[in-house]
Amino acid sequence: MTISGLIQKEFIRIKSDRRTLILLFFIPMILIIIFGLTTGVGPTKFFTAAIISRDEMPTYDDFPSNSSEYDDIFISIMEQNSTTWDLYSQFNSTNIGEYNQAFNRCFYLLKNEFIDVFIILPQNFSESIVNNSNPVLIYYIDGSDSSAVRALEVAIQEPLALFRVEINMIENFTIMVPHLEFGVPSWESQLLNYALALILPIIIVGTTMNLTSLSIVSEGPLPRMLITPTAKRDIIFSKLIANTVVMIMQATEIFIMTSFFGLYSLGSLFDFYLVLMLIGFCGVAIGLFISAVSPTEQGANQMYLMMFIIIIIFSGTLMPAESLGGAKFLADILPLSHASVLITDITLRGLPLNLEHVFFILIISLVFLIIAYVAYKFKKLEV
Amino acid sequence: MENPDISNNTMVLVENLDVVFGNKHIVHDVSFSVEEGEIIGMFGISGAGKTTIIRVLTCQIEKKNWNGNVLVTGLSPSKRGNHSKILSNIGYVPQLELLNLYFELDPIVNVEIFTSTYGMDKKKAIITAEKLFNILDIPKDTWKKRVKRMSGGEKKRLSMAIGLIHHPKVLFLDEPTTGVDASKRYDILSYLKKLNQQLNTTMFIITHDLEAALICDKSAILREGKLLEFDTPQNLINSLPSRGLVARISIENLNQEIIKTIQKYPSIEKVLRVGNETIEVLMEDFEDNLPKLMKFLFENELKVYSMSRDVANFRRYFQIRIQEEEEKENRKNRSELMNEGDSP
Repeated sequence: MTISGLIQKEFIRIKSDRRTLILLFFIPMILIIIFGLTTGVGPTKFFTAAIISRDEMPTYDDFPSNSSEYDDIFISIMEQNSTTWDLYSQFNSTNIGEYNQAFNRCFYLLKNEFIDVFIILPQNFSESIVNNSNPVLIYYIDGSDSSAVRALEVAIQEPLALFRVEINMIENFTIMVPHLEFGVPSWESQLLNYALALILPIIIVGTTMNLTSLSIVSEGPLPRMLITPTAKRDIIFSKLIANTVVMIMQATEIFIMTSFFGLYSLGSLFDFYLVLMLIGFCGVAIGLFISAVSPTEQGANQMYLMMFIIIIIFSGTLMPAESLGGAKFLADILPLSHASVLITDITLRGLPLNLEHVFFILIISLVFLIIAYVAYKFKKLEV
Repeated sequence: MENPDISNNTMVLVENLDVVFGNKHIVHDVSFSVEEGEIIGMFGISGAGKTTIIRVLTCQIEKKNWNGNVLVTGLSPSKRGNHSKILSNIGYVPQLELLNLYFELDPIVNVEIFTSTYGMDKKKAIITAEKLFNILDIPKDTWKKRVKRMSGGEKKRLSMAIGLIHHPKVLFLDEPTTGVDASKRYDILSYLKKLNQQLNTTMFIITHDLEAALICDKSAILREGKLLEFDTPQNLINSLPSRGLVARISIENLNQEIIKTIQKYPSIEKVLRVGNETIEVLMEDFEDNLPKLMKFLFENELKVYSMSRDVANFRRYFQIRIQEEEEKENRKNRSELMNEGDSP
């Protein structure tokens, strides 16, 4: 056979493998279409903020307290004019009692992710502007997301610029170093703990998926097993059990290793361990699904790789889930986006298990398991 | 037993079996029965329907695709509820060892895996395995080594042992001698006979290898889904003209013209070309007609190098039978074409 004959044979072979063609050409196309159609449509609110205004002009004669107007202008710009900000709520707190109450409320909102940041306008905010001195801006931000901290430093420039134009202000703002809340303390292992939220689920999902995705398709004597009294449901169930046990062992190993190398967790370690197992179980379910629907080992490998890439892309860590627009549903139906939130909540915010995310992961696992079972049940297996 | 009409010794009963997938009729009206302890050879070229029949018997084909009365160890595969029992009563040895053995594990672990699917006691299974390994001459030093380190023949024999590990009443073997070199082929067949004799297991051998008929009590010949013959190999050979006596004749410059000339001789039943210059001739009243045939050849100025007489073997019978069927079909096709040509 000449080289052209060999090339032709390869084309025929590739053409006959429709699944590979679909994976090769349709998946990127679908992803591009999804991104193209869903993101960048309409205004995107990148940051949700709350503002506590302590602004209070000095009282002269009959002027009432808190008669300043510059904080109102700033708040109004944040509320209406800015394209990158969404104002969740505002608090006027001129006395210490009100301020403490507002601060606690904002802290709660920040911790539970209702807001991304809260800004405090100090008592002399308007006074500084009137006196042509540099006004000060204080803000508190969720430090568990380092990329968001950097993005916010840029995004804050927009309302400030609009504000300065609005009031013809020439002085610069003095922005206090932001208070990073819920970050990893400087004395803890920063790199490890910041990476945990993404790296751990990726490791567990990736490896369990990989292990399980070949469990059916690469087992030569499996069809032969069906000429014994063994039922298909027993086969798939046994694979689920065995792979889950391996996954639990792996999750335990990861838990011990991360603890050993300086795991920082404000929340319950048991919850953290539970999340590792939950995400691992989801990996097993997806792996079984891949193995059940793939006709060959090569097909399973390709599908695994594709699914893994998609899961990482839509993990909400590479691209914030909010910025995905209409494609956010993909993040919702894939496990990593839920797992990374759960891990951050537990380790850095000290929150209990978020049952909504737990429920999502369980549902995703269940759906993949059901599809795997049905696909395997109807899979034609002959010796 | 579900059917009171069949004997207690009937291991497999197939009556009027038809298998259809979509518009493809794979098996046509096949009937036969197999008694306990018999070795049955199913012979046929590719697409004959051998594997499909075995798949029906081993519960691999859904009832919606087949019709007929089928009983395996007295139970019908048509009922899903019987599958588990039937599959406990039968063993299966696939053509490729890869489909029957875990190459990364040792033979004993392989045995444990398969026996667990039958719910067998582990200790008893090991005792049975050792007995089978001894019958099949699987060297003891390989029992604890990975299967992938075993030789091809050892893997083949281990695969047979796995098929028999749960004491099945019927063992189905798919091409047991394929991929084995000529000298080892006879060894495999001998082992099968030995197992059959020692364990009294009924065996079903699906094969292209016509030498397997040597150990078969009955042979089934299939072509395009139809069962052409089902009898003992000897009976089949005896059914040939002059009970299978053949004259093997070597003729100089043998060609189709010469063969046609020979076929004109009146008592000739069949002329088979078996070599470049060699034919085998079957005829009625062999003893009387052989000298007359030789005279006929000389009269026609054909130069005969050599002539010997022999008895046809099963391979020759198979060849004749398939050829007959092909000729019959060609005649039928020709007459159909002519009828189509005649019609307005």
